[in-house]
Amino acid sequence: MTKRSKGAKTRNVKPEGTLEDLNVNPCKMCMPLGSVTAAYGVEGCMSILHGSQGCATYIRRHMATHYNEPIDVASSALTEQGTVYGGEANLHKGIDNLIKLYNPHVINISTTCLAETIGEDVPSMIFRWYESHPKSNTLLVSTPSPGYGGSQYEGYFSFLRSLVTTVPMDPSLAAAHQLNVICGPISPADTRFLKQMIKSFGIHAVMLPDVSSSLDQGRLSVYNRTPEGGTKLTAIRSMAGSDLTIELGEFVPKAMSPGQYLQDRYGVRCQRMNAPIALRDIDAFIKILEEFSGRKISASVAQERARYLDAMIDSHKYNSEGRACIFGDPDFCYGITRLCLENGIVPVVVAAGSACPEFKKHIQPQIDDLAQRFLVDNFDVVQAADFGDIERLAKKNGANVLIGSSDGRRVEATCAIPLIRCTFPIHDQIGGQRVRTMGYSGSLMLLDRITNALLLRKTSGFRAAIRNEFYDNTLLSQAHLHRQTQSEQLVAEAQACLDDAASDYTATREQQKHSEAVQKTKSHPCFTAGCSSKNARIHLPVAPKCNISCNYCVRRFDCPNESRPGVTSQVLTPKQAFEYWKDARKRIPNLTTVGIAGPGDALANWDKTIETINLIHKTDPQSVFCLSTNGLLLPRYADKIAAAGVTHVTVTMNAIDPIIGAQIYEHVNLDGNTYIGQAAAGILLSNQIAGICMLVQAGVIVKVNTVLIEGVNDSHVEEVTKKAAELGASVSNIMQMIPVKGSVFGGKAQVPQKKLACIRKTCRAYLPQMGHCQQCRADAVGTLYEDLSHLFLDKKAPHTQTSHHQAYRMAVASKSGLMVDEHFGHAQQLAIFESNGTSVRFVENRNLDTYCKGSDACLKEQSKDVRMQRVVSLLADCDALLCLRAGTEPMRMLADAGIEVRLTCDRIETAVLDAEQSLVSKGIIPVLSRMQSI
Amino acid sequence: MSSETIEAPAANQQQSLTDKVLDQYEAKVYKNRKRHMVTVDHALETPQEIAANVKTVPGMLTHRGCCFAGCKGVVLGPIKDTLTIVHGPIGCSFYTWGTRRHKAIPGDDGLNLVPYTFSTDMRESDIVFGGEKKLMKAIEEGIELFHPNAVFICSTCPVGLIGDDINAVAERAEKKFGVKCVSFSCEGYKGVSQSAGHHIASNQIIRHVIGENDTPPAAQYSVNVLGEYNIGGDGWETERLLHRCGIEVISVMTGDGAVADMQRAHMANLNLVQCHRSINYVAEMMKTQYGIDWLKVNFVGIKSTTKSLRAIATYFDDPALTSRIESVIADEMETIQSDLDYYRSRLTGKTAALYVGGSRSHHYQLLLHDLGVRTVLAGYEFAHRDDYEGRQVIDSIKVDADSKNIETLHVEPIKGKYHVRFSADQLEDLKGSVNGLEYYEGMMKEMDNGSLVVDDLNHFETEAFVELLHPDIFFSGIKDKFVLQKSGIKSRQLHSYDYQGPYAGFRGAINFAHDLDMEFSSPIWDMVTPPWQSKPLLNGTFTNDVNFAEGGDK
Repeated sequence: MTKRSKGAKTRNVKPEGTLEDLNVNPCKMCMPLGSVTAAYGVEGCMSILHGSQGCATYIRRHMATHYNEPIDVASSALTEQGTVYGGEANLHKGIDNLIKLYNPHVINISTTCLAETIGEDVPSMIFRWYESHPKSNTLLVSTPSPGYGGSQYEGYFSFLRSLVTTVPMDPSLAAAHQLNVICGPISPADTRFLKQMIKSFGIHAVMLPDVSSSLDQGRLSVYNRTPEGGTKLTAIRSMAGSDLTIELGEFVPKAMSPGQYLQDRYGVRCQRMNAPIALRDIDAFIKILEEFSGRKISASVAQERARYLDAMIDSHKYNSEGRACIFGDPDFCYGITRLCLENGIVPVVVAAGSACPEFKKHIQPQIDDLAQRFLVDNFDVVQAADFGDIERLAKKNGANVLIGSSDGRRVEATCAIPLIRCTFPIHDQIGGQRVRTMGYSGSLMLLDRITNALLLRKTSGFRAAIRNEFYDNTLLSQAHLHRQTQSEQLVAEAQACLDDAASDYTATREQQKHSEAVQKTKSHPCFTAGCSSKNARIHLPVAPKCNISCNYCVRRFDCPNESRPGVTSQVLTPKQAFEYWKDARKRIPNLTTVGIAGPGDALANWDKTIETINLIHKTDPQSVFCLSTNGLLLPRYADKIAAAGVTHVTVTMNAIDPIIGAQIYEHVNLDGNTYIGQAAAGILLSNQIAGICMLVQAGVIVKVNTVLIEGVNDSHVEEVTKKAAELGASVSNIMQMIPVKGSVFGGKAQVPQKKLACIRKTCRAYLPQMGHCQQCRADAVGTLYEDLSHLFLDKKAPHTQTSHHQAYRMAVASKSGLMVDEHFGHAQQLAIFESNGTSVRFVENRNLDTYCKGSDACLKEQSKDVRMQRVVSLLADCDALLCLRAGTEPMRMLADAGIEVRLTCDRIETAVLDAEQSLVSKGIIPVLSRMQSI
Repeated sequence: MSSETIEAPAANQQQSLTDKVLDQYEAKVYKNRKRHMVTVDHALETPQEIAANVKTVPGMLTHRGCCFAGCKGVVLGPIKDTLTIVHGPIGCSFYTWGTRRHKAIPGDDGLNLVPYTFSTDMRESDIVFGGEKKLMKAIEEGIELFHPNAVFICSTCPVGLIGDDINAVAERAEKKFGVKCVSFSCEGYKGVSQSAGHHIASNQIIRHVIGENDTPPAAQYSVNVLGEYNIGGDGWETERLLHRCGIEVISVMTGDGAVADMQRAHMANLNLVQCHRSINYVAEMMKTQYGIDWLKVNFVGIKSTTKSLRAIATYFDDPALTSRIESVIADEMETIQSDLDYYRSRLTGKTAALYVGGSRSHHYQLLLHDLGVRTVLAGYEFAHRDDYEGRQVIDSIKVDADSKNIETLHVEPIKGKYHVRFSADQLEDLKGSVNGLEYYEGMMKEMDNGSLVVDDLNHFETEAFVELLHPDIFFSGIKDKFVLQKSGIKSRQLHSYDYQGPYAGFRGAINFAHDLDMEFSSPIWDMVTPPWQSKPLLNGTFTNDVNFAEGGDK
């Protein structure tokens, strides 16, 4: 047993082959439900369940929700007494009442678990009932249907079998050349279709059962208690005289097959075949109709076939990417499997909920061929499956479309696989009674739904899919190679740039040894291990933006307990940073180093970075300045960095092979263009190489940071360090990746310390190693071993002189509490912030009516205005409203009230400060001070 | 459309209405059914009595469910941190899978098993050879896979008959796996309706769940909300209101509920009872065992919610709490007032009929009243007489054979855990000023003179009364929804809310009003005609020879 963690509580996918006694979310119902469904297809037939009343209630509820029709099922309502003394009296009374209430021609007496367990002898009870009602014309049918005897599928045929064995057959009633068609549990719409199709061949047929109108009634001016339609009793009696029975159901157990009974007892040949779904089986069905009628297929049906074929061609490109998970009763599964197979959709899971030993044997070989063509290794055909199995197999075999009942909706939600609802029960959508699957037209309707689900998936997710395909190392497609060549070119160009500079390079390096920079290195805590506990550094978080996306980084995290690069509590403006530094210097006398390490990339925020450096440099030229960067913009700014007096630059270089780099960087954004995969890694790398080279030439000390990622670049780090040394870097800092929840690498393990030490040891051959790195926050203050930034958190720029005006108040619409990310109309509350030019302070939350209540409410203009007035008065003390979007009308009303509406998606602090600057520049006096002056 | 209002007819006129329906029955059935019908008349000297909670007539299309439905489906279904295994054939498990819209979100422990249903899926051989071993293994597999806080075992019809001892299995499993296992012998044939299942579930919750964890509440005032099943999010809205008032909700039984919370329910100051029918047992037994008083509340309807919140304030009698509650009421009212006025103007004068389970027919009448809609007929599926007439009749209810079989748990005060807030005398005094303290007045007292009350309304009566009373809308469940709609009568499901909600509290009331207005405004009703406009009343689909046999077993 593995250790059971708390997280394991949510691990609830059924492991393979281990659960035999616990059914997790059933994919089947009980026998009485099937029995009742079939009975709805017989004219004037009512069902009474012999057992406790809950069975009838549950079945009515489930059928009513699917068919959107009244479902009337009686019950003998056995109570405890009945179970002890037998339920005959209850059943007899139930039959009496049912006859008086509904006057049915046929009563289906279906047993339940209870009746069967106490051993109720229903046939004898029927016999005795007839004895006491000698004049009755009502036909009582005893259907054995204990819940434990099978699923609704067996229950369905159990009733039909009982019916044909009970009905007094009279072959003479049959029309000349009559056909019996016995169908399984299919939709009323499919039943209507089949009847029409058979009729079009001029065949006189008895369809059993016929739910075409009884479970899909139209609206009548007068409500009729017993639904119209269903197979007439006389027609059933004539079935013994038909010439042929077609039984549409491959898996009907022989003992429950009505067709088998008619063949054995009355010699009516029974041809069992699949339901006419998909080309092969529709053709077979039509062939039999042609043979039986002696007529050829009609022009219109032939046209339908042609249209279906044409449609199959039209959509085959999309379908061949389909991997279907099909579940339901055995016949349904078979039909849909055929439909998928013919259209190139590989059924990777076919799961019958009912126990059906024949299932796998029939279905598996048919899938083999297509699976081989499309190189699909894994597919499963299972019976007696529950949704625990179905979910596990769908995931394992990579299904991308589910086809079955609405009971699959939880798998749909957890696995994010679209579900085509096309069999009983459909409880969360409408139209279950109108689902078409049969015939060319029905198959086409269903096929279109499946294809569209696949298309939607594709059109909505193709970027990610393409990226994963193209940049997956295991698949070297043509495009992949092309991209690789491209990135190699980029690296080569950078190398060429290097070579050009090579001549100056050696000389520069010599000079460097004696330069000012080297002297300063001695007091830099990061570059010189010996001074790290004495000398303190301050990281100024002035650089919020980043131009690359690393897979180990989630920059929205901001938690004082997580001391990691890219993490900061607050972003400062250069002026605030300057004040902050001054304050820190007073408190920490050994503050030697000023660094800009983000929280984004120092160079991606060049203006702010340089402004900060200039401010501090003017005050204290002795400070050691350093920057951290990913290097993407280094070639652009290297000279300017050196000119500004920055002596130390840390470049994070994780790979020198674009293939490996592509695994680490999600994208790179350069001058407004986003690059992904190896192209991105190639661009970044070439700029890093050229940039480091330029820095070294300019006399800047370069440290190369490398984030060690288990299984990605751990065996590549040596190469990186070697390259860094070649380029002229002075120190190498190899650090463990900190797995951050929510990042791509969030689930990865950290490289063990021992391995890290080993790698550092190897790399020491090339460059001195910084073994004392503490992976600081972007706003770290103090020595490396003692982060004091929490002491400063809310005291940044505490002695500021710049607050020359009263605070502005801004209302912010934010869902996350971090970003301005909510539509004003959807906001249920607004956060009020105050800003006094340098710091941003949260004041309170204010609740408001959401302005937008959907179109219904919006029709009532008056109430909307009233609501808006209320909002305006609520914000009377605010200067601005910051939100993601706002309607034009609210914006106008707020503007009228003197509240400026700013649409933004920035961090709250940034947005508030920006808004404030704009207000100041417009010369607007804060409402608060205006209020006070009044 | 038929928006014309019907003035409440005098009681004697209404009497003739029930007679018009009853007259079609033969004498015996007339007598039986007449006892289940009352025309409300507050002028009478003796309180009116109604027959309820008696066995269903076989062969009638009852809307009632079974004991299992009441236990597993209603009371246990919404609990999210338990693995509730249905021991029996597959159907019963399937039919209680996600059908009641009792919503739940994972708790702090990450558990939410509400989207699942578990079964031992008994087959023929299990019925013959017994299913205990299978059940034991199923429990083991379930614990291994889902790590629930408790395992509940619910039996279905065959289990009791084949002699599977689920109590013994539960005991063994609890010992073996160290996870609380509780058995519920709720075979479908027990009792006369789901009501029996509520009682059985309540007994076991008292026996095995409540009182196990003595972690005290964090807030000064804390409550349990009993009989709130969080259909469509009602429980969440109720909790939101209570939290706004500064009242801690220790546990909700059982909507979005957790055994982990229920185990410390006895640490609360007060029990609030929303659905009296299904869970008054727990409130009563907790009173005896722990001394916690209970208060009948109703968070459906605007006036009702206000009244309930004020009753809580009066009970605790703390000026700070009272003023906080008053300001919450004022704020919520301000939020909804303009909407309320609008919807009232749209809905006033409409008439409604309600036929729901055991509480909602009462609760929703009050909400409808807030919106200006008058109730002309109301009935319960499985309520008892006290739900109609008030708790004072409980002692006089004759317990018949079917209900005698349902265990009445006798409990005693638990030493060390029994605390009373008020002395008996103080409590009696308080009852005078706190509406619903340890008392439920029933549905009929708040109904208009002349309105009809019908217990266990059957299909035939539904149609007959609809044609006589012409209600503008009929509130019931899915089983009669389509009958009514096909007849051209507007309907709204009050079991599942037709996928809408929440309807509780102030804001929920506006949701409800909105949905109602939508129903009345739908253009579809311009295209269909109710039956009474197109055909004469009672045209004789049923004749005098309708002859119901007496219900019942030997």
